[in-house]
Amino acid sequence: MNVIEVRKVTKIYEEGDKPALDAVDFYVSKGEFVFLVGPSGSGKSTFIRLLLREILPTKGEVYVAGQNIARLRPWKIPRLRRSIGCVFQDFKLLPNKTAFENVAFALEVINRPAHIIRTQVPEVLNLVGLGEKFNSYPDELSGGEQQRVSIARSFVNRPPLLLADEPTGNLDPATSQEIMSLLNRINRTGTTVVVATHDREIVNAWRKRVVALEGGKIVRDQTRGVYGYEEQELI
Amino acid sequence: MRKKMVYFIKEAFTSFKRNLVMSIAAVSTVFLTLFLVGSFTFLAFIGSKLIDAQEKKVEIEVFLSESAPSEKIQGLQNRIVTWSEVSRVRYVSKNDALKRLKSMFKDAPEILEELPGNPLSPSLQVRLKDTRKVESVALKIKKQPHVKEIINDPDKDVKYGQKYVPKLFAVTRIFRWAGIGTISLLGFASLVLIVNTIRLAIFSRRREVAIMRLVGASNWFIRWPFMLEGIFQGLIGAFLTVVILFIIKTSLFKYQIIQFFTWLGVSMDYQPLLSQFYILLLALILGGIIIGATGSAIALRRFLKV
Repeated sequence: MNVIEVRKVTKIYEEGDKPALDAVDFYVSKGEFVFLVGPSGSGKSTFIRLLLREILPTKGEVYVAGQNIARLRPWKIPRLRRSIGCVFQDFKLLPNKTAFENVAFALEVINRPAHIIRTQVPEVLNLVGLGEKFNSYPDELSGGEQQRVSIARSFVNRPPLLLADEPTGNLDPATSQEIMSLLNRINRTGTTVVVATHDREIVNAWRKRVVALEGGKIVRDQTRGVYGYEEQELI
Repeated sequence: MRKKMVYFIKEAFTSFKRNLVMSIAAVSTVFLTLFLVGSFTFLAFIGSKLIDAQEKKVEIEVFLSESAPSEKIQGLQNRIVTWSEVSRVRYVSKNDALKRLKSMFKDAPEILEELPGNPLSPSLQVRLKDTRKVESVALKIKKQPHVKEIINDPDKDVKYGQKYVPKLFAVTRIFRWAGIGTISLLGFASLVLIVNTIRLAIFSRRREVAIMRLVGASNWFIRWPFMLEGIFQGLIGAFLTVVILFIIKTSLFKYQIIQFFTWLGVSMDYQPLLSQFYILLLALILGGIIIGATGSAIALRRFLKV
């Protein structure tokens, strides 16, 4: 079964602009780990935003977990997002909530009872290695720690799909590797993981499926791929 | 749903505490504007009582001819009393009129000593339910059948202060409309100010709203805590207003403002004024709550568009 199906999708933000995505075909089956690579402006973020139904495709169809996102009624959009865990470069944590409350929020949203929140949130925070910082606010945590909270939040309700948009963009290489191994562990529990990144080191280190975007088109799709040749030559 | 409400209330409380500066800004805006509206409305209540008291003084005096047979006078009095505009008709005899005059001049009785006998006429004093109808009632009296047998000259002897009554009503009308206009203007200004403050507070948290939506929160899930927070802010601001207004009212009445008005020649009832005051306080609290809730909802609308 395909968790993500993108069929001939074109996205043009404003009439007359160059398309951000140009007739893209792309499938991800359940349990896969995919790196989406490409330089800035290649369409990675557009891709993630489409999957979250922040935007709609100009042409083509996008299916997430079997649902056509263009046909989704507005009140069903929150339900779609609950089935997708998201991790972002800027963490997107609620600044007025502690680490615990940030993770708990994802469960409150889906009406989980208090006793489940009390047991599951610490469990997930321990899993990401933040066992002692339950009551810290985001601005009291380091970048790596904030990203762990964000991963804990994205994962706490066990979504079938986890999207990460430049998850290591603000982190140093050592921390980046830790975050990546966290995502890898989540992937091994059966969750499909898509990571958009231009961090060559992590892509080359993990040897997963690599889909390369350039100018809105998929230029390469390799299992156990690497970041790419051209960029290597440039540096 | 009820269980969720507990969560929303908790959320609203913590968010109130953690965004304390914005909360204080909103509360003080609510307090200041509602205080302005409230105290001005209270003043307008007192003012309208003063105006009412002035208007109530207007009555019709029907001077009767001395030769009028008493059964005819009685007949006229009985007829007038049945009219719906009239609240009371009193007969003042020649002697009563003189007594009244004497009591008015009791400090200078020598003025009346010069009077030859009793030059005063007996009269009917007609008091009205709505004094603005004074003109039409006077006209109706003049048109009664056989009125000439009772009144010498109906055009002159039916008196209600023809000269000053229209002016009085013109002035009171201006005062009333000015009061209503000022209060509505102040009310509108308060509404705009409060909603704007709440909007600023929510605008500074628009990123939070965006994050909540990404995590899959439904619009109502996001809206409830914000609206409850707005309600708290409105409630606290209105409560402060009510407390201050209450203190002002108590000290005003302690210094016997009612007696002061009586001394000015205006009789005023304490009880209706007091109940109006309590209704005002209730309205302020309700207003605070409603403005807080709707202000938040309006401010959120922009950030909740799908």
